[in-house]
Amino acid sequence: MTMKTLLAKIKAYPYLPYISLGLVLSLIPTLVYFDVLRSSYVTLIGAVMIYTIVALGLNLLLGWSGLISLGTAGFMGLAAYASAYFTVNLKLPFELSVILSIAIPVAISVLVGLISLRIEGLYLAIATLAVSEIFRKTFAEFDFITNGFSGKSAKYPTLLGFFKLDNTMTYLLLVIVMVLIMILIHNLINSHVGRALNAMRGSEAAAQAMGIDLLKYRLVAFALAIALTSVAGILYVHFIKYVEPSKWNLGLSLNILAVIIIGGVRNIMGTFVGAFVVFAVPDLVLKQIPYFGKIANFAYIVNGLTIILVILFYPSGLIRVFTDARIAFNKFIAKTRGKTA
Amino acid sequence: MGSQYYSVGGCEVSTFVQLVTRSLETGSIYALAALGIIIIFRTSSITHFAQGAMAMFNTFVVTILFTKMDMPLWMALIGGIISAVTTGFLVDFLIIRHTKKVSPVAKQIITLGLIMVFVGVIPMMFGVEPLNLPQFFNTGDITFLGAKISYNGLFNISFGLIIMFVLFYILQNTKWGLAIRTTASNEVVARMMGVPTKKVTMAAWAIAAALGVIAGVMNAPTTTVTPNLMDSVQLNALVACVLGGFQTFYGPVLGAYIIAILQNLFAYYFSSTWGTQLLYIFILVFIVLRPHGLIGKKVIKKV
Amino acid sequence: MSHAHVKPLEPGIILSIEELSIAFGGIKAVDNLSFQIKEKEIFGLIGPNGAGKTTAFNCITQFYAPNHGSIRFLSKKDETVELTQHKVHEIIGLGLVRTFQNVELIRELSILDNVLIGAHIDYKTGLFNAMLKTKKNRKEEEALKNQAMDVLKFVGIADKALWPVGGQPYGILKKVELARTLMCSPRLIILDEPAAGLNDIETLGLADTIRTIRDEYNCAILLVEHDMRLVMDVCDTICAINFGKFLAKGSPKQIKENKDVQVAYLGTKEDLV
Repeated sequence: MTMKTLLAKIKAYPYLPYISLGLVLSLIPTLVYFDVLRSSYVTLIGAVMIYTIVALGLNLLLGWSGLISLGTAGFMGLAAYASAYFTVNLKLPFELSVILSIAIPVAISVLVGLISLRIEGLYLAIATLAVSEIFRKTFAEFDFITNGFSGKSAKYPTLLGFFKLDNTMTYLLLVIVMVLIMILIHNLINSHVGRALNAMRGSEAAAQAMGIDLLKYRLVAFALAIALTSVAGILYVHFIKYVEPSKWNLGLSLNILAVIIIGGVRNIMGTFVGAFVVFAVPDLVLKQIPYFGKIANFAYIVNGLTIILVILFYPSGLIRVFTDARIAFNKFIAKTRGKTA
Repeated sequence: MGSQYYSVGGCEVSTFVQLVTRSLETGSIYALAALGIIIIFRTSSITHFAQGAMAMFNTFVVTILFTKMDMPLWMALIGGIISAVTTGFLVDFLIIRHTKKVSPVAKQIITLGLIMVFVGVIPMMFGVEPLNLPQFFNTGDITFLGAKISYNGLFNISFGLIIMFVLFYILQNTKWGLAIRTTASNEVVARMMGVPTKKVTMAAWAIAAALGVIAGVMNAPTTTVTPNLMDSVQLNALVACVLGGFQTFYGPVLGAYIIAILQNLFAYYFSSTWGTQLLYIFILVFIVLRPHGLIGKKVIKKV
Repeated sequence: MSHAHVKPLEPGIILSIEELSIAFGGIKAVDNLSFQIKEKEIFGLIGPNGAGKTTAFNCITQFYAPNHGSIRFLSKKDETVELTQHKVHEIIGLGLVRTFQNVELIRELSILDNVLIGAHIDYKTGLFNAMLKTKKNRKEEEALKNQAMDVLKFVGIADKALWPVGGQPYGILKKVELARTLMCSPRLIILDEPAAGLNDIETLGLADTIRTIRDEYNCAILLVEHDMRLVMDVCDTICAINFGKFLAKGSPKQIKENKDVQVAYLGTKEDLV
């Protein structure tokens, strides 16, 4: 095999973008070690990856399956509290805690999925909002599990019962989990299951006529989305190591929604771009702007404005900026080539 | 004058009356907010998730006018209504008008973006200290069936009802009301029939904002004026629309009062900490059994 | 799932509608309608606007639940089934597939993907196989993709397979929908106003395509249609309805000469004056 064909094969490898992203992100701890970047970057980018995973879940639900849910924050918090409780209070092994902390929210989400069959669109959005509110209030009340407003702490994961991870290793675990999830979602979307979800969104009538059971696929969509949300919640509590009730509010659900709108609905890499814009750019860029940077909530305002502007003017999301740039670049190359020919 | 306690089935009538009147008061707040949401929904086909946030913003305006500029309360309220109408117009003119090609889901998301803008802008414009807005009537109450009802409470209830009656009267009996109802029924056809739908939409956003600020000013005295002031009102107004159904104007209003009454009853008779959660669960179950709300009609999709 | 025992259809009959009735809020959209379709027959259902054709066929395909009547169908497994005992998404598995007047395709997906949706019921691998892209899943996907390409070649748009559906001209969209129905090896295809929006040349091409489909895919075709030329040209049998009620049934020639049908479409001599 020549170098050319090898390169061509690599370029055509469908998982290339995700793996490249993973490789780039895994360099961050090294850069921190050599003092090229501040150590806060690890926490920041780690958080971006966690939010990417949640947002992929929401993208699966809203972007591909067309089911609107404003309950993301509540479920993420549920998984976070569950894993904190299982590992700290019940001293269960990390892996078992993960399984339980995914299973419980998913079971509840199936209930919500059942509700979604009777109520649609808008009614469903509001119902999921109510569900998230119920969770948030419960987190504050159930203080024998959640410590109420004092918040709950957890530790870095311990794998296989003995391998205690530290900050950097947990960060790398995040990279691996995120890339794996991206690959799995990619496969799912390009399979017949992905097509069924798209059909459910695009035309319920056509989907049913083609044999797609709407009940089954709505439940699948909810279960998968909440499974991803739970994974993110678990990673959150074991990376940030602290969780408290007020975080799991509508604002967070809205920010996750902003992630997929800004990054691009139905686009896996776009989800990462969106998470970066919503959760990292404020700290990296906005806070550095003189005068505006000092204003509290400036990032929140900018995110809100960005959502509105993106919907009005760039409905495919900012990920299109990359594709459009590439198209413009190719056109430019072709033009100059044509001139010299 | 001593209070006489009557006992009906173990519950004191006076407590019950007090609960009901307080519920009517809260219900008025929810109803005004819900009315704003349903008016916009039926004319612009958008679910206004930012009704609470915009109401809160304009309530801040009222509060600033009252505290920092020493205006009398009624004048500050008028200032707030002017600000509300202006913000309503601006949102419609700058943003909503350009959403013809946007998908329905994206339209709701725009309002979610609006929440972020309005909530975020508050600390920037008004500082971070919590402020206070007083009631219209600070003292005085009457006694009815052994229960004390404050003048302020009576005022809130009647003011709310009057505004709603006026609006419903306008809707049913005037040319403008007809224009709104026609646009609400089918915007494209209304436009073709010569109804000035652009003006109707603008008016709808302005009216909704005005209703919002009135609700906010009624709500503010019960707590402090913070960016989260209207969060629960927003949610309850939305749930009121779900309960009452999105197909009529009066459905959500009815839903609002029912929610307020149930909320207080649940909190008092079951548990004050779990009251709201129980209420939402109850409503969710109800919605599953009656997906189109109390009054909503089922729409058969033509394939 | 066991169903109530269904009286078997007579040999050669694949669909039998008996006393089908459905009312919407007091108005009888379909009123005591009965007809039968034979194997490999091209059957036309006609009637003026609002006659109840679309409602009738939404009842057949279980998008609406009729108030009264029975719809017996000879499934792909050669069993007689009562369609009203099945859910709407089970119909295609029995061998009955439909198109939509408003062309219901998924805009963001490619033409090939849209056609593959028609093969959804043929996939045996599940969620986990799909996510992990196991060998079993890959083999299935490849086989069905090949089948989809064959079908696209048959309708003549194989070169456009990877193009997105959004933005395609109407004629192409109708072909994609048609291709989608062929993936499941149906016994009966119901076409919902297939000539709507097509010009004369395209309509002639459609007539050819319908006949070829019947011959090559060995299925019957029920045509719900307005365009009289297409119906007269391609149908073996035509059933005319008006106000939801049965009007006449016969060969194209018989229907053309039927007085009741003429009155329904053109009005009486008195109306014309």
